[in-house]
This record gives sequence, structure tokens and C-alpha cells, in this order.
Amino acid sequence: MNLRPVTLSILLVFVAVVIQTTMFGTGRVQPFGAAPMLVLAVVVACVRYLDSEPALLLGFTAGLLLDLLGGSPLGLWAMVHVVVAYLTLRLRHRADSAVPLVAVGIFLLAVLAQTLFLVASTLFGQSLLSSSGLVMLILLPAAYTVIAAAAVMPTASWLLRERTVRTWVR
Amino acid sequence: MLPFRRFERSTTLFVGLVMLSFLIATFDVRSDGTGLGAMMRTGAQSLFAPVQQLATAVTRPVAGFIDGISNIAGLRDELEATRAENDLLRQQLLDVQSTENRLTELERILDLEPPIDAATVAARISSLAPTEFDHIRWIDRGTEDGIALGQAVIDEDGLVGRIDFVADRSARVRLITDPRSGVGVRDLGTNETGWIEGRGAGPLELKMFSTTKPVQEGDRLVTDGTRFPPGIPVGIITESAEAVAGFALITSVDPAINLAELDFVKVVVGWSPLDAVVDPDTGEVVDVPLAPVTVE
Repeated sequence: MNLRPVTLSILLVFVAVVIQTTMFGTGRVQPFGAAPMLVLAVVVACVRYLDSEPALLLGFTAGLLLDLLGGSPLGLWAMVHVVVAYLTLRLRHRADSAVPLVAVGIFLLAVLAQTLFLVASTLFGQSLLSSSGLVMLILLPAAYTVIAAAAVMPTASWLLRERTVRTWVR
Repeated sequence: MLPFRRFERSTTLFVGLVMLSFLIATFDVRSDGTGLGAMMRTGAQSLFAPVQQLATAVTRPVAGFIDGISNIAGLRDELEATRAENDLLRQQLLDVQSTENRLTELERILDLEPPIDAATVAARISSLAPTEFDHIRWIDRGTEDGIALGQAVIDEDGLVGRIDFVADRSARVRLITDPRSGVGVRDLGTNETGWIEGRGAGPLELKMFSTTKPVQEGDRLVTDGTRFPPGIPVGIITESAEAVAGFALITSVDPAINLAELDFVKVVVGWSPLDAVVDPDTGEVVDVPLAPVTVE
């Protein structure tokens, strides 16, 4: 197994986590009270170029980092990002489709991720469903994630494509 | 045959990781913020905190610039509103000075001390919540600075939240806007007590279970002293509401603090709910010892 794309992917996830927890938040860059899910965008972008197992483990690691630096029980964002990585694995052969289709796919993945997190956190006794403006709290970050992905995907492609293109084409 | 095998392997790993995630979540919830979960959080903080502090220093001007551009349209209206508010505040200042004089006199008589005299540790926000659903902040002070679980976090406007996780050199603040946060409060208008819960990005929710008096828009709420030092501003009631027999009075409250401008905070380290002397009959806090030392 070529370790270079895996290492680069982990590095990208680390950078995304740092940016997410320092730049995007209340009082920083958060137009209309929401911020992009940068880490999710990076996971989707990197999973396109990784083998199945490293891709799933990357999703798990990214989610676990968000859990560790966030305020929810450990494991919930890890589970969500594993699901996102798995769905991306199943759909990545369509990644070269028309750009609008890819954008819609990322938007739906972001919406699914947040909905899944809300359901899982409710199962673990977190009363997040009582948050006000819940629909906007899901839709707005999902829309921003599409914009973030427009910057993240070419970067990931530039870093990872050349050396691993054969491994993800099924 | 090969693709089928690969599919099976990845699906098995997927199911395994999902199950592992649920297991970790179960253990973390059961361990109530201690054990392996706490060790992992502490490790992650040790790893990320220096990088985050550096990144915050670098991105703060960029973030401020972008924020400034996005707000430029509203600046003119804001200036007009600020001028009007300034005139109003000048009037109010005269009233406040007079009230302060009376308050000082009363405190001397009653031998009370204002809550702000409790020992505090100043801290800076080092990182933000990674997702929209986490209403937390990380600060750059930890157990080494005397920070402990449950301590109140305040800024110049009022109550910010409470410490709900501590590492050696950092701590996590659960904001009062978090749906998992609750604060006992006293309405300064009616002197009745109630309970405030966070609603995420929206206003706070005030519940008063045994009140008979109505609450008025503009009434100020302060901490009641059961969990945090008494008298810390928490918010202002935004909707008048009346108590109905048999039902809790519920209304909305604007937080006293401005989360968007949160940068420096103070952690009240010199006070514990266990220190408060509570009247066993009425349940009211009758005496609150305050620590004499202020750590800066």
C-alpha cells in the first residue's frame, strides 16, 4: 500500500480541524451564523483517492478529532464521518460527473451527516433537537460545505491524484 | 470475484467502525467525562492547543477583515443606533450612579460583598466549537491555574457558562446557550427564582415553576447562588409573561453576554456551591463566603 496519499490525507484533515476550530466559529468567519463543515469536505475529497480501508479509517479519525475537540460524547462525529466516507466510497465512481451533480451530492452528504449526528446525539441523551432554528442550522452549513468543497477538492486532487488514480477507479 | 471481496471487506470494516463509535460514545457518556475519554481529550488538547493558538493569532486579522466586509452595509445603521443609545445611556448613567451609592450603603449595612470580588482567573479563548451543535469554547487555562469542573465563567457583561472539562493547561467552557446547560436565576423585577436553559443559536428559555407574579419584558435575571455565585447577570427577559395556575411560566431571554465578541473571560475559582449556606426551610442562599485572593 502506498502510504503517501494516506499521510497527505491525514495531514489535510489535521489542517482542516485546526482551521475549523480557530477560524470558523461564533465571532470569527461565520456569515449568517453558520460555517462550512470543512473537515467533512476534506474527508469527501480525500476518500476519492484512497483505498477502501484507509478511506474508512480516515473518516473515523477525522470524526474522532472533532469529538475530542468538541463538546459532544466521543464517537458520534466519528460514526457520522465513517458513514460519509462509506457513502463516498460507494458513489465515487460518479465523481467525474457534471459539477452540479457532485455539488448536490456533497450538499446531501452534509445534510445527512448533521441529521445523523442529531439523531445519534438524541439517542445518547443530548437535547440538541430543542435547538432553535434547527433547519437553518443544518441547511446553511451544508450549503457552505459545497462552497468549501470547491476549494478543497482541487487541492486534494492536486496532492493525491497522480500517485493513486489507479486505486480508486473500480 | 475480487471486487466482491473488496466490497465485503470494506463493508465489514464500516460496520465494525460504526459499532466501535457507538461503544466509545456509550463508555464516554457512562464515564461522565472521566477515564479513557478524558485522557484522550487531554491528549488531543496537548497536541492541538499550541497549533490552535498560533492559528488563532494568524487568522484573527483575516477573520476580522472578512467580518468587517460582511458587516459594512450595516455599519451606518449601527452608527445611528449607537448615537441614540449613547444619549439614552448618558441619562441612565446618572440614575445608575445614584443607585450605586445607595447600593454601597446597603451592602455596608448588610455586610455583604458583591460577587465579582470572588477569586478569578483571567483566560483567553483559545479555540472554538468545531461544529454548529457544540456550544463550547476552549480556554488557555487549566488545572495548573486552579481551574476545576463546574466553576462559573464570566466576562464583563455576565455569565458565559461553566467549566465542564479540564486538562492541565486548557479547559472547556459549556456556554449558557447550550441546550444541555441550565442555570438557576433570580428575576430582579419580582425577586422570584427560575431556571434558564440554552436553545442553541436562539434566545434562552426561562421556566418558573412556582411563581404567581408576572414577568415583564426588560426584567434583568441574575444567578440565584445555587450553582454559581449569586448576582451574576445572566440575561434580560424579551417577552412579558403571566403565570397560569398549574403551569410553569415560560418565556424567552436574551443572554447578557455577546458571544460573537467573546475573547477574554474570567473563571470564578474562589467559590463553590458547597460554600453557600442554604436555609433548610426556604432553600434560599443566606450566606455566600467569598475567597479573598484574586489570581490574575
